[in-house]
Amino acid sequence: MPVILTVDDSPSMRKMVSFTLIGAGYKVIEAIDGVDAFEKAQDQPIDLVLTDQNMPRMDGLGLTRKLREHPHFKTVPILVLTTESSDLMKQAGRAAGATGWLVKPFDPSRLIEVIKKVIK
Amino acid sequence: MAEVHHESSGSGADFDLSQFYQIFFEEAGENLDLMEQMLLSLNLETADDEELNGIFRCAHSVKGGAATFGFSDVAELTHQMESLLDKLRRHELKPNASMVDVLLESADSSRALLACHQSGQVGQGPATANLVSRIRALVAGEIPPPPAAIKVAELAKPVVDSPASATAPAELAESASGGMRHLEVRFINLDQPAQADAVVELFRDIAGLGEIKPHTSGEVAADSRVFEVETTSSNEDLLDLFAFHVSREHVVIRDMVSPELLGDPQGPAGEQSLPAQDAATASPGFGFFDGAPGAPPAHDQTPESALLATQPMDSGVAKSSPSAAKVPVAGNMQPEAATIRVAISKVDQLINLVGELVITQAMLAQNSRALDPAVYQQLLTGLTDLDRNTRDLQESVMSIRMIPMSIVFSRFPRMLRDLAGKLGKKVDFVTQGEATELDKGLVEKITDPLTHLVRNSCDHGIESPQDRIHAGKPETGTITLSAAHQGGSIVIEVRDDGKGMSRQKILTKARERGLDVSDQMSDAEVWQLIFAPGFSTAEVVTDVSGRGVGMDVVKRNIASLNGTVEIESSEGYGMKVSVRLPLTLAIMDGMSVGVGNEVYILPLSSVVESFQVRSDAVSTVGQGAQLVKVRDEYMPVIELEKVFQVPRYDSDKTSDIMVVIEADGSRVVLLVDELLGQQQVVVKNLESNYRKVPNVSGATILGDGKVALILDTGALVRRSRH
Amino acid sequence: MDKTNEESNAKLCEYLTFRLDREEYGIDILKVQEIRGYEPPTRIANAPPFIKGVVNLRGTIVPIVEMRLKFNCANAQYDDFTVVIILNLHKRIVGIVVDSVSDVMGLVPEQMRAAPEIESIINSDAIIGLGSLSDRMLILLDIEKLMSDADMGLVADV
Repeated sequence: MPVILTVDDSPSMRKMVSFTLIGAGYKVIEAIDGVDAFEKAQDQPIDLVLTDQNMPRMDGLGLTRKLREHPHFKTVPILVLTTESSDLMKQAGRAAGATGWLVKPFDPSRLIEVIKKVIK
Repeated sequence: MAEVHHESSGSGADFDLSQFYQIFFEEAGENLDLMEQMLLSLNLETADDEELNGIFRCAHSVKGGAATFGFSDVAELTHQMESLLDKLRRHELKPNASMVDVLLESADSSRALLACHQSGQVGQGPATANLVSRIRALVAGEIPPPPAAIKVAELAKPVVDSPASATAPAELAESASGGMRHLEVRFINLDQPAQADAVVELFRDIAGLGEIKPHTSGEVAADSRVFEVETTSSNEDLLDLFAFHVSREHVVIRDMVSPELLGDPQGPAGEQSLPAQDAATASPGFGFFDGAPGAPPAHDQTPESALLATQPMDSGVAKSSPSAAKVPVAGNMQPEAATIRVAISKVDQLINLVGELVITQAMLAQNSRALDPAVYQQLLTGLTDLDRNTRDLQESVMSIRMIPMSIVFSRFPRMLRDLAGKLGKKVDFVTQGEATELDKGLVEKITDPLTHLVRNSCDHGIESPQDRIHAGKPETGTITLSAAHQGGSIVIEVRDDGKGMSRQKILTKARERGLDVSDQMSDAEVWQLIFAPGFSTAEVVTDVSGRGVGMDVVKRNIASLNGTVEIESSEGYGMKVSVRLPLTLAIMDGMSVGVGNEVYILPLSSVVESFQVRSDAVSTVGQGAQLVKVRDEYMPVIELEKVFQVPRYDSDKTSDIMVVIEADGSRVVLLVDELLGQQQVVVKNLESNYRKVPNVSGATILGDGKVALILDTGALVRRSRH
Repeated sequence: MDKTNEESNAKLCEYLTFRLDREEYGIDILKVQEIRGYEPPTRIANAPPFIKGVVNLRGTIVPIVEMRLKFNCANAQYDDFTVVIILNLHKRIVGIVVDSVSDVMGLVPEQMRAAPEIESIINSDAIIGLGSLSDRMLILLDIEKLMSDADMGLVADV
């Protein structure tokens, strides 16, 4: 069963995403920001990282960069959830090494659809 | 962490998000509170990135949640706040007082709107159109007209940057004061055309958004919907709003502009070029970076990613949002691991159970007193250990209910800012001892009296800036609120450097009211006069803190918490009000006394001394009242037997012990049969199932399981005055 | 208990029956929290005579109402049969002293009759009706109304 690390400083968003993912048959690990996520990523194998962008301490792109620097996480898919889909944001995402992005607010079924494209 | 389920949920349409609403409401409330705190402490001249980012994130978080959970009115308002804050954090605009004001007001409105949603009263919240246009004006760099009130306490001179240079290319210029736009909004390629109909509801829910009606002419495909919209909102705002129901790539907005307006430089025609208008290359709301780790093969992706793949990969280009460059430590969302949320009812239940344990343990101790220590040595040792364990447990549990005073203090900065503004005064607010802890039950009850005292200082104490300058004082007055532990009490002080109280004025006023005063009264006694009902020495009764009726209620509230309040004042220099409260409501040190066959408890803090009565020291004055001379003081005597109509079954027993108690600033003597002992008692509420009983403040359960009444020493003292 | 059909099940109300002197009364069983033996309460000064005082119910202070006094019964003994019915009325806990408790009866509307207009010491609004079962007649009380009545003295004057 694939393990998804979901990162968001907003408890309500986190719960909602977890609920959605669990309902679709994934196992979920929750983290409250980039720092927390990076620590938790070391504890077990992760099949996908789903992270919010705007968070305190370390944001989504910061987490992405940090993960990519680490040999262990060079290939794990990372999806960034963001409220803006501007070109600037996309460039930053690509440069940081993200796999893709998803715009908030999103339909829960859209989330699953996107994840299915990335984890088989 | 998360539980593993094996069943898949249904399709997206089956998702019930309402289970997350409560979490969101709490979370949003915290974010709005935090935002308010940060806005109030924001230094306009030297605001740093961390602060601005923190405030931005609060608004962003609330917006995200509101949009996700369908609270579009809140989403719209917070979206506007977020745009302003985004500009501030990118240093495209400099913060000024008007911005802080409108953001504070917007936070208030957001709270109100959320409260409406929470209680199910949709559509009854405050209208936000005015706030939205003010924010837009600020974003566009205009200085809004100053508020109608008297001069506001300025923290910095407003500075306005020209917005044109600051607008990032991705940003779209908006019509500054919102001219009305006529648009054709087309929803295309919809999986479920009914989604678009939900957009109509947005216009109904959000006050001031505009008008929408279905477009009747022309052909419309089965998977499309067309509407005519009149609104002052920009296309960007509309798309954001619609996004909850219909994603951007399905929306095409066209201005229905009449030919003569085409020449208007501000004309929206063609200005709003959006990727969304071109369905072929539309962003579907997600995408993948070609060649990125883990990205699905090209045929599986959306067209958008193909576009991006052709762009030069240059990590240097990525300016990314400013927040990514730093690692700011946020104002404050506690990492979850350090705390857990517990329902108050559970904590109260725990406290009750520990209270029971204390009683049971006391009962065991009492019943074991008669045992022969030699025979029952182990049992008695065990009971001593139990005693210690129970005490430790009790302290530990009571400390769960202890919360820092900062909770109480936090409401004052905002309140004072608004109040000082209204009154045209300049006030600095200083707090000390925020970390001092207080029982939660006390916190709730002390907030109102403290609020009144602080308002009083601002209203009647601190002088107007001119008066202060004439008096040789700094223009800005200071109100200090402090809390500290002293012995078994907590002392909370409200100090101001205002004009203090006039002894003469108070004495005069008291005489006018027919109170018994004399010029020989000490200052302390004179200050206490302001607690008399109906007393007010303000020349002008401002509607702000009301009439003098406030102070006597303050005193009574504090007395009901078994607390005392003292005043020190120096005319011309200022005033200090000290409130002393026992640390907790629930447990009290008591002295038990016997009257007839009944047991009564006196709060030990009220007991001064006790002695055997000497009939020659007692004298009777008019109407059967008795006085007793203790050293040089005459004190009224209160026979508990009479007050409580205690039946006498044993005529040999009489009341011949006197206990001197002090409460409410005076001393009286209680006449009882015997002193039974001192112990810690768990205070139980009489009123939850019964009613308030005169002269009684509560009840407790004795070691033998029986109920004993705890006497209200303040009430007894007051009784003796009549 | 009669349970003839589903409809009458829905209207079936269960009453705890107790005795005060020679009369039998019934009160809604859902309002009864528990039944205890009598223990002398702690007296509260200046309370009406039928409020005997308060007792400790596992840590909660509960007032005890002497129903026999309230109903003007001829005798009020305190013996082994004397019972205190502890009521939970919307979170307010109150105990009433009665002579004895009989059983729980289910009554359907057919078994209930309106009470005749009689002079009563208690507020007649508090009498729901009369229930009859074979040879017994129960006076059905709206115990909540009775206890909240101002002259019960349980509720503070507003």
